[in-house]
Amino acid sequence: MHEIIQITWGAIVSFILAFTVGITYMGLNRKITARIQNRIGPPWYQNFIDVIKLGSKQTSIHHGVMQHMGPAFIMVTSVMSLLIIPILNQNRFFPNLNFHGDLVFLLYIMVFGPLGMALGAGQTGNPNSAIGVTRGLSQMAGFEIPWVMALVALMIQYKTTSIVDLMNIQVETGKWLMFSSPFAFLAALLAMLGMFRYAPFDIVGAPQELASGPMSENGGKYLFVMMSAGSVFAFAKLTLYVDLFMGGANNLIILVVKTFSLYLFPMLYGIVSPRYRTEQSVRYFWGWPSLFGLLAILHAMFF
Amino acid sequence: MVGSPVLFIAIPLLAAFLIPLLGFVWKESVRILPGLVLLYLLYLSLTLMEQVVHTGTIVEVIAGWAPPWGINLVFSPLTGLLTTLMILMGFIIWIYSYRFKNIDFQEAVKYFILLLMLITGSVGIVLTGDIFNQFVFIEITSISAYALTAFYKGRDSAEASFKYLMIGSLSSMFLLLAIALIYSQLGTLNMADIAAKAHLMKPEFKILALIFFITGLGIEAEIFPLNGWAPDAYAQAPGPIGAAFSGIVVKAGVYAMIRVMFTLFDVAGTHQFLIVIGIITLIIAEMSAVRQEHLKRMLAYSSIGQMGLVIVAFGIGTEEGVFAALFLMLNHAIIKSLLFLSGSYLVYHSTGKYISEVDGIARNLPITSFLFALGSIAIVGMPPFAGFWSKWSMLTAAAHSNLILIIGLVLSVSLIELVYYFRVLNRIYFFPKKKEVVVKKPTINALLAMGLLGLLILIIGFYPDSVTGYLHAASQSLLDKGKYIHDVLSTGQLLLP
Amino acid sequence: MIYILFSILLGGAILTFLANKISGLLRDTFFLLTMLGATLIFYTQLHIGGLVNFSIGSFNLEWGVNSFSWYFSLIVLGLGTLAAFYALSYMKGKENLGFFYFSFLISILSMLGIVMSHDLISFFIFWEMMTWSSYFMVIYSGKNVQKNGINYILFSAFGAYAMLTAIALVYANIHSLSIVEMISNYGQFSPALQTWIPILFLMAFSVKAAMMPLHVWAPGAYSDSPMAYTSVFSGALSKMGIYGMILIFVTMISHLPDDTWFREVFAWLGAITAIMGTLWAIAQDDARKLLAYSSVAQLGYIITGVAIGTDLAMLSALFLAALHALFKGTLFMAVGAVERQTGTVKFSEVTGLIRKMPWTFIASLLAIIALAGIPPLGGFVGKWMLYESLINSNHYILVIAIFFASTSAFLYCYKFLFGFFLGQEEKEWAHVKEAPALMVVPMLLMAGFLVILGTFPGILLKPADTAMQTLGFAPTEGHLWSMSVLFNAWGDQVLLRPLVYAIAGIFLFFLIILTVKGWKNTRYVTTKDISSSGEVPLEHENLTFSVNFYQPFLRAVGPVMKHRMITWYREFGAGMETIFDFTRRIYTGNGQTYAIYVMVFLVIILLLQNTIFG
Repeated sequence: MHEIIQITWGAIVSFILAFTVGITYMGLNRKITARIQNRIGPPWYQNFIDVIKLGSKQTSIHHGVMQHMGPAFIMVTSVMSLLIIPILNQNRFFPNLNFHGDLVFLLYIMVFGPLGMALGAGQTGNPNSAIGVTRGLSQMAGFEIPWVMALVALMIQYKTTSIVDLMNIQVETGKWLMFSSPFAFLAALLAMLGMFRYAPFDIVGAPQELASGPMSENGGKYLFVMMSAGSVFAFAKLTLYVDLFMGGANNLIILVVKTFSLYLFPMLYGIVSPRYRTEQSVRYFWGWPSLFGLLAILHAMFF
Repeated sequence: MVGSPVLFIAIPLLAAFLIPLLGFVWKESVRILPGLVLLYLLYLSLTLMEQVVHTGTIVEVIAGWAPPWGINLVFSPLTGLLTTLMILMGFIIWIYSYRFKNIDFQEAVKYFILLLMLITGSVGIVLTGDIFNQFVFIEITSISAYALTAFYKGRDSAEASFKYLMIGSLSSMFLLLAIALIYSQLGTLNMADIAAKAHLMKPEFKILALIFFITGLGIEAEIFPLNGWAPDAYAQAPGPIGAAFSGIVVKAGVYAMIRVMFTLFDVAGTHQFLIVIGIITLIIAEMSAVRQEHLKRMLAYSSIGQMGLVIVAFGIGTEEGVFAALFLMLNHAIIKSLLFLSGSYLVYHSTGKYISEVDGIARNLPITSFLFALGSIAIVGMPPFAGFWSKWSMLTAAAHSNLILIIGLVLSVSLIELVYYFRVLNRIYFFPKKKEVVVKKPTINALLAMGLLGLLILIIGFYPDSVTGYLHAASQSLLDKGKYIHDVLSTGQLLLP
Repeated sequence: MIYILFSILLGGAILTFLANKISGLLRDTFFLLTMLGATLIFYTQLHIGGLVNFSIGSFNLEWGVNSFSWYFSLIVLGLGTLAAFYALSYMKGKENLGFFYFSFLISILSMLGIVMSHDLISFFIFWEMMTWSSYFMVIYSGKNVQKNGINYILFSAFGAYAMLTAIALVYANIHSLSIVEMISNYGQFSPALQTWIPILFLMAFSVKAAMMPLHVWAPGAYSDSPMAYTSVFSGALSKMGIYGMILIFVTMISHLPDDTWFREVFAWLGAITAIMGTLWAIAQDDARKLLAYSSVAQLGYIITGVAIGTDLAMLSALFLAALHALFKGTLFMAVGAVERQTGTVKFSEVTGLIRKMPWTFIASLLAIIALAGIPPLGGFVGKWMLYESLINSNHYILVIAIFFASTSAFLYCYKFLFGFFLGQEEKEWAHVKEAPALMVVPMLLMAGFLVILGTFPGILLKPADTAMQTLGFAPTEGHLWSMSVLFNAWGDQVLLRPLVYAIAGIFLFFLIILTVKGWKNTRYVTTKDISSSGEVPLEHENLTFSVNFYQPFLRAVGPVMKHRMITWYREFGAGMETIFDFTRRIYTGNGQTYAIYVMVFLVIILLLQNTIFG
């Protein structure tokens, strides 16, 4: 019983942290993008305003049970990844469920939500949603390859599939894995572009073509939960990268610094580029990123 | 002693003679008499077979002239087995064709006489112990076969019969040459005597005689490339006669050839020769069968292929190989007869006998189609039906002799076989029926005959022990050449004083 | 007891067939009683280790049950019984039902026979019985018999003949047909035989397990059989191939000095099968074809697991084998339900069934989640063990290949659910009702079992572990798995229970929030009430996206899919037919030619007489 309360408490605190940081990052993203494109852009806290507005909407419509449950599915992925990914080194934050699942479990729980939400999007009957979903799934089949290659490279190099163990190794040796496994880091970093779906990989939402794709037909409380889940998930993913490759973090400030600098990469990668077509995006991930992944595995096997 | 082997020749010949005479008295007797004769002979051969397996070969001397001077009949487990098989097939074919040419009495008389002659000739080939006598029986068989091929008196059947006749006369010529060669060298025509004295022959004459035998008998045994006559003859002869060809006549031909090769001469390389020629026959025939458009022709090629397989099995030469060969012969006789009998109902009214005319016929002829399907499945060797056991014994025999390549070849050819049989089956069952095709319902007796064959397939399939004992005895008897010579010649010794 | 089991099935099959002529009710009763009777006897009367023998055709036949065969019998009878109930309703009103039920029971009988055979000859006989009884099912509908039917029978026969060759070789060498003796004498065979016997056996088994490159029969055969049988066909019958493969790998390949080669080749063939099966499944518009290709892919994973052969890999293969029976059984049944209720199985034709067939949807959803391997359902357990075993046994590239296949599998998983159940609800399908309870309940039962297995995989891992011990593996309980914990060889673990509870908790928490918040102001609108490019579609306009669903993805993988195994086979077949046509012309029909042949034959032999009879 004590354990359950402990975990619930930890979950709530982690959630609030991730929510705050995630929403802030998204706001900053909008601001920075605007500045690069020579616009003034919204203030950095604009996303807070958006979320609060959505959350306080009175009416909402849905097209069926699956759509109704969609945001709950995506929330499961966000919160579960947050619970499994250690937030700070050596459990200086809440231990949550860090020891209960390994990387493979994490990989799979990370697709649970998107697929659940895809079902909800499918039920709306809006063709844009379905098109967005097919694009998203195709892109996922693309970026998962270098991403898994990077993870496998880490696993075989250090003979563990546990995130906590990988963090401890970095703490003990004092060497970040991004330097001891450079190819794995490169592959993972490029895979991250697909995960965050910013330009030129924003084929799923694709504002001009698909009118935000799977998200269309969602409003009010549904969009509220989705946006919150999205920002929490973004923070969780960034933390995972920091944990795996950048030596983790000893306190929250370092964590924020590291995650934000990492976040700049997908944000700035193609900010002025036009959007890829779906097959181009898929092929992109099977090109150089997968080659780096392969190198990472070879590196791990022979060195 | 219930009866003597000589009855196998005498009774049907007598009956064949009596049929037209009795026909004047009572028309139905023309149809009944052959059946009675065959039934009695079946009983006789079964009892003799039982006796022979336990007490040893019966040698019957005709007219008191002891071997090696006179003509003798040898009822050994091997010849007994084949005799029984042939008479059984003859009997079933009789049941099937009981109502054949129901209206045309004269035609029926001819048909039954010729059928009886065909069976008698084939049984004679198997039973006789004298090589010239065998030649005579081959001629009897062939002439009845020519006549039966041309039975329908159409253009095509006449042509087929003529081809058969032409090739058949070549066969007779070579056989006579071979026999003459032997007689000039050894001065004897008795098989056992020839076998005992074969070493006295000059090797070049021996081989020459062997080659003439192979060519002459190979035509009867349908080995490639001597089998050009066969597809036409099978396709043009009446349905039951196709069954008789594949179930009776060919078996006699193969027997004669094997007897010459295994018993008469002891020449190195015969086994390898049999294997090679058998494989070639098998492959060419099965490959030709795939693209046939006529049902009976397809069955004919399949029949040739199966005989190739039998010859390969004989070529293995071990007891297991011979066992497998005899088993294959037995199953082939039963299954291919069933296919011919049921197949001829499937294309009964069609002039071209095209395979495409069987489309969807299962709805009209459920039982016949089912039996045809049973036969097809059995002949490609699917367990638990009869064909499986013979194929299996063939494979183990080959494996024992380390002839792995043969296993591979035989099985690949089986795949081809499978394709063309299943294509026909699919047509029978699943294609839409063509409107213009007229269906002929099988008569009761035809159904009975086919049902009997189907039952035999099931019995052998589920309980192969019912026949394996006889097959073992027969294969031992073929391979034990010394015993054959002794059995035959010692009869003479006993009689002489 | 085995006698009784087999005679019940055989007698029941014949009785059912005969009863068909009398009355439909009698036939259905016989059919169900036979199935239930067999299952009942199997679970209550049959004890592991029992052996019966008798002889036929001078062969000694031996039948018996061990834990390994028990595990596979479990799959066969479990799925078989549920499919039998389903079939009663699904097949209602179709033609030739006696024939269908007869073949159904015979194929169940032959599968049980296969796993219970302790000698090669009865193994082979049952194997062939399985082939022709399932062939009857493939051709049952009468569609494409000349193509798919012949394909199926041809490939099966190819495999069977390979096996027959192996059996003949074994028999020629040890003069015994007992499987136990074959295994114990395997070490004394010559090196050539030691390689060839397992290869020949594996050829036979990989045909049934639909492994590349012998899989081409599968999509056609699976999609042409009636769905009530396809669930058994893909779920249980293909597992006979896996059963044989496991046997061969454990008892023979592992004794070879260069077994790594074998293992690598087969593991890769399995992985390639998985990838290609997945890609082709993505491209299908016909739900039956999609599931058929997906079956091929799923069997690929299992083959990889078997080939790797470490205890974790074998455990995952066994687990996945049972799981595949569960979820693919459910999915084929769901397709059957949709087919029966709507008359079509094309994604591009039927949409928006979720509100009409909710139970079918739920069952399909759960099965799809399990198929995709997503926690918290059973599929994840199998996938996890497979990945970890591959990583632990240093198959790094292989694990990427498998991972690629299972990530791409999400695409067709989504297509399946979206195509039938989601999208716009059309008037055309307004009349559609949920399938009868007899069809829905078996699906829901299997789906429910999948849910339980997600948290407590130990239920199934326990018998799998016992089965592996029969094969000579060390017990794995406690260090590779316990009731709801999974371990890999490095000691990393997944504690399923807290994870599943957490998932359920979070999901329910947010679901309640979503539901309660603004309960009164939340309203349901139809799928026609959407905004599309600023317009609201009219009632008759169907905007569901279902044609060229994954076109961009297929374009991306286009180069791989350009080459199809089946075209090669087709070309080979066409070439062979040309050759056959040529040989046919050897027989010209001209008597003179034939006479010349005779003379040529004579001359050749005369010339070569010294070579031939030297």
